[in-house]
Amino acid sequence: MTTKELTEQNSKKKERENLLEVKNLKTYYPIHGGFFKHVVGNVKAVDDVSFTIKKGETMGLVGESGCGKSTTGRTLLRLIKPTGGQIIFDGEDITNISGSRLRKARQDFQMVFQDPYASLNPMQMVGDIIAEPILNFERRNKKELEQYVKSLLTRVGLPESAYYKYAHEFSGGQRQRIGIARALALNPKLIIADEPVSALDVSVQSQVLNLLKDLQEEFDLTYLFIAHDLSVVKHMSDTIGVMYLGNLVEVASNKDLYSEPLHPYTQALISAIPEPDPKLRKERIVLQGDVPSPANPPTGCPFHTRCPMAQEICSQEKPPLKEVRPGHHVACVLY
Amino acid sequence: MTTNAATGPAKNREKSLSPWAIARRKFMKNKLAMISTAFLFIVIILSLLAPTLAPHLSPIPDVAKVNISKMNIAPNGDHLLGTDKSGRDVLTRLLYGGRISLLVGASATALVIFIGTLVGSIAGFFGGAVDSMLMRFTDFVLNFPFLVFVIVLNTILFGIVDGLWVLIGVIGFLSWGGVARIVRSKVLAEKENEYVLAAISIGCSPAKVIVKHLLPNVMSTIIVQATLLFASLIIAESGLSYLGFGVPQEIPSWGNMLAYANEPDVLQGKPWMWMPPALAITLTILSINFIGEGLKDALNPKSLR
Repeated sequence: MTTKELTEQNSKKKERENLLEVKNLKTYYPIHGGFFKHVVGNVKAVDDVSFTIKKGETMGLVGESGCGKSTTGRTLLRLIKPTGGQIIFDGEDITNISGSRLRKARQDFQMVFQDPYASLNPMQMVGDIIAEPILNFERRNKKELEQYVKSLLTRVGLPESAYYKYAHEFSGGQRQRIGIARALALNPKLIIADEPVSALDVSVQSQVLNLLKDLQEEFDLTYLFIAHDLSVVKHMSDTIGVMYLGNLVEVASNKDLYSEPLHPYTQALISAIPEPDPKLRKERIVLQGDVPSPANPPTGCPFHTRCPMAQEICSQEKPPLKEVRPGHHVACVLY
Repeated sequence: MTTNAATGPAKNREKSLSPWAIARRKFMKNKLAMISTAFLFIVIILSLLAPTLAPHLSPIPDVAKVNISKMNIAPNGDHLLGTDKSGRDVLTRLLYGGRISLLVGASATALVIFIGTLVGSIAGFFGGAVDSMLMRFTDFVLNFPFLVFVIVLNTILFGIVDGLWVLIGVIGFLSWGGVARIVRSKVLAEKENEYVLAAISIGCSPAKVIVKHLLPNVMSTIIVQATLLFASLIIAESGLSYLGFGVPQEIPSWGNMLAYANEPDVLQGKPWMWMPPALAITLTILSINFIGEGLKDALNPKSLR
């Protein structure tokens, strides 16, 4: 606790600058149909999302399955081409760069993937998996590189002997550690963690989360932490963004979001967190209906079809994300 | 459980089996496949050593020279497998013929696998317009009438290029369609794994993603395809040579030797002229197919992960 307070003080001392700025990001997947396979529509996976992440902070991104969190993460890393908007990373616009320039830029932003069983090449030795990102950018002395990779392995809590093994010899949690070591290898500024613990046992989840937190301090990392588990995000994040149907509906600091959720969707989400104390049973907001299809989103506010507080205007006008209190943004007509 | 640093890396290296090593062990346990491998190995060695072996096994080790005085001799002490209608030693021709048949089969297979893998992996990885274009071209090649084309091309190119390489080239350029399709479908499936996305995110170029990440993971399929192709291309060579459109007449190959069997007189009365190449082809194809089956089991992706 004391260390946390200390870092908070530190962060207040020097005004942190933005590492990642996302402006009106859109990622649409075209739907092909008809006789000539022409584009007949779009799945709006990410629809007009804007936020910023400050250096050294962790932004959590939550939302239910299919709301576009992963697509947002992958688009930010330019693994998927954005349809519109702007991604500014460390002062450089990376929205439209391509080819070798993009490859070079990748040094500074890395990803930890969701499925530790699919994200490691089964044909590569663990040592080669972790060394590969470095070899993509510079020539290194073999001995030196091996030493460096082994130090990374030790840092993420694996034995040095893991260097000579293959991914199939490790458990899910250990594999995720290998994935983290690979992301760290280039000493990046930003790591996007795409549901890094959702495929792991609960007991292993906390180990990996704590590892990520420790590494953040040690390597001065900035995280975008994508998850669908609210308690995981609460544990990790400084600010939290809530996504619904490709839209960011609320962005607030960790404390504000949990103590005072403003958007009806966020309120419903937070009321669904299980309460360990049985005496403290609280009212749960149960949403009606299903998430509409992102191929055919409702007009106006994307949430109005399920919103308990919907008014007539909600179906006509899409409310913009606006700052209603210092540092607390919400996209709802109620505020 | 975990060995400490003191035992050193060498020991750890032995303990960890690469996916390939696991497959090799599994293959070694397959008796039929191992016997077939041994047999194929012997056939290859005998063929390669033909120039050295032939003088010891036959009084006339020349494969091409016609010998009127020694025509149609049945197998005896001098000529272990007899002589053919032109008075040439059958055993000598069988040994030399193996070289040609195996060479044509292996080179054509290599060519087919190379083109097929290149086209298939590029189409599968890039998708979209590149995929459509390459696959339509593949369909186009697949729809060529193979036999007619081989005969026509062989006739046109005959004399311009060395006959053998014409045949290899023609077979190769007409047979890669199937491999391209299989590789493409495998790459399409493999591409969905997150490690491919991870490879892109750590800054690998598209070429590197294909060569270092995708191809090793579809290699098992390619290897199995290659063995089966090897067998079928040896048959293709024999078939074409039998028809007289394959390897030029003066070069002995198993198919060329088999061509004698289209004379009823030879087929019924002189089995020593066509039985040896027929058996050689049959047993070689059979053993290659057993090896292919063995590889298929050993390289089963479920046992590799």
